[in-house]
Amino acid sequence: MKVQERYYDEVFEFKGQWDMPSSCGLKLREVGGKTYVVVTELYQDNPGTSVTYAGRSLAEQICEAKGLKLDEVVYIECTPNTNSKLSFYDEEYFEVDFNADKQHMYRRLPVEEVKSILGNEAEV
Amino acid sequence: METIKMKLIYPKWQKLRGQTTFTLPPHGPVAYAATLPEYVDISFTDENVEEIDFDEECDVVSLSVMLSTQVKRAWEIAAEYQKRGKKVFAGGISAMLHAEEFVDHVDSLFLGESEGRSEQQVLDWKNGCLKKVYNYMGNQPPIESVGPCRRDLYKRELYNHKGVQMVDLFHASRGCRFSCYPCAVSYLGGRKFRPRPIDKVVEDMAGIENNRLFIVDNSLAQDKEWEKELFRAIAPLKKKWISHTIEDDPEVLDLAAKAGAWYVYQAVYDTSDYIKERVKRYHDYGIGVEGTILLGLDNQSVDDCKRLIDFLGEIDLDLAEFTVMTPFPHTKGYDDLLRQGRIFDFDWNHYNAGQVVFQPAKMTPDELQDVYEYAWKSFYASETQESKMFRLFCNVALREMEEGTYVPRNRALANKSFGKEVDRRAPHQNV
Repeated sequence: MKVQERYYDEVFEFKGQWDMPSSCGLKLREVGGKTYVVVTELYQDNPGTSVTYAGRSLAEQICEAKGLKLDEVVYIECTPNTNSKLSFYDEEYFEVDFNADKQHMYRRLPVEEVKSILGNEAEV
Repeated sequence: METIKMKLIYPKWQKLRGQTTFTLPPHGPVAYAATLPEYVDISFTDENVEEIDFDEECDVVSLSVMLSTQVKRAWEIAAEYQKRGKKVFAGGISAMLHAEEFVDHVDSLFLGESEGRSEQQVLDWKNGCLKKVYNYMGNQPPIESVGPCRRDLYKRELYNHKGVQMVDLFHASRGCRFSCYPCAVSYLGGRKFRPRPIDKVVEDMAGIENNRLFIVDNSLAQDKEWEKELFRAIAPLKKKWISHTIEDDPEVLDLAAKAGAWYVYQAVYDTSDYIKERVKRYHDYGIGVEGTILLGLDNQSVDDCKRLIDFLGEIDLDLAEFTVMTPFPHTKGYDDLLRQGRIFDFDWNHYNAGQVVFQPAKMTPDELQDVYEYAWKSFYASETQESKMFRLFCNVALREMEEGTYVPRNRALANKSFGKEVDRRAPHQNV
């Protein structure tokens, strides 16, 4: 379940739940005047909290490190394709709204929208 | 140091419908107890087999919580003791999985493995500087520091069914290098397999006054050389044991059988020849198989589930246990279903792996619930679970008799089941 490097520009180290040392893949993109923060779950190479569980705390840590304001970025979580035979390890992208309730916090991005942000970098 | 009286409690939880009513002595509380210093005098209550006496004299209370379905009961117990002015600690697997909520219900939460660390919490309490959280997540102690559990704390007669003692739980390793979709073990114990030193395992196992064990490690199939060494080393003890998956390798299976493998849990996730042959290979070495069948994955429709259930009849399983997909926190399953807005029930009492709490992909929640009930009924239609278990029990008893390790049932407890009187009257006599 090694995540391919094409999913990230850098590995971002963050403090997970209860300060657990954690890692995620990170890409920042400027498209159409918007800043997109794309975090990727690294599975076996993430020793701590998942990007989804870390949620807002991870987003805040990235924004602080990169000099961004959370309410001015589009925050996207990526579950990468790990070439697993299991369907639950396919590539998917979700925009996250941290102000919504648990059941409405995530919006799965359609292929066209992902491609408009990441171009050919996306596999979807 | 002056003695500190600690009340250690394992909260009650409700068994799955269909599951056997056998209650095994819990492992977490006695593993934690073993890490406490001698001046802590522990009185242990497993609420699954006896009532809590809230008025029993104690200085401090500690709750050991394994399952999500114990969480809310643990909070009730904490509140009851707090009303009496007692400070309440909590720790264990589900205290870690549900830590963000737990911290609001207890006076001090212990996160992580307790070897070499638990005394600090006690000392801080004694000195009036108890911390809200003792956080050792991701910071595991050396595996060599894991010692024998405090099994002397068990009231053995309460883990006895009609004179037959239940198996003791045992661990030979911690952590897991796999990170399976519905499982949180890699979050809890680290993504690295941490086997205990073989000599420690042998010493620990030899000291258990029970010939039958359940090695509860996530999977023994993580390091073939260690696994082979383990089986060679424990074979002379002549213990009989249950475990999760063993490496699918003739040499390993042969060594496992010689080391006393009684039966193993094997996931049955499809209807392939591979699964059929895997079960057969265990049987070829005299090892029984309990299939574990997880229903409600995204690739399963009702028909797929029924096909899988029918398939079980073709592969000669000794036992089967069915669960429904449950998105436990800190699993990939939870993350995925949360993102997809498919979790509709966050009541932890319902997270027992027998109640549907999410929207399945290819069926309705009701259909999944029905197919789960159907699975239990269908598998045990021709022979009851008790009868199948009795056959497995006879297998192990015969092997023990051959080896001279068989301990006859305790006649004094023949009319007791987990501390309660067995009603041996025929049904018509109960009227």
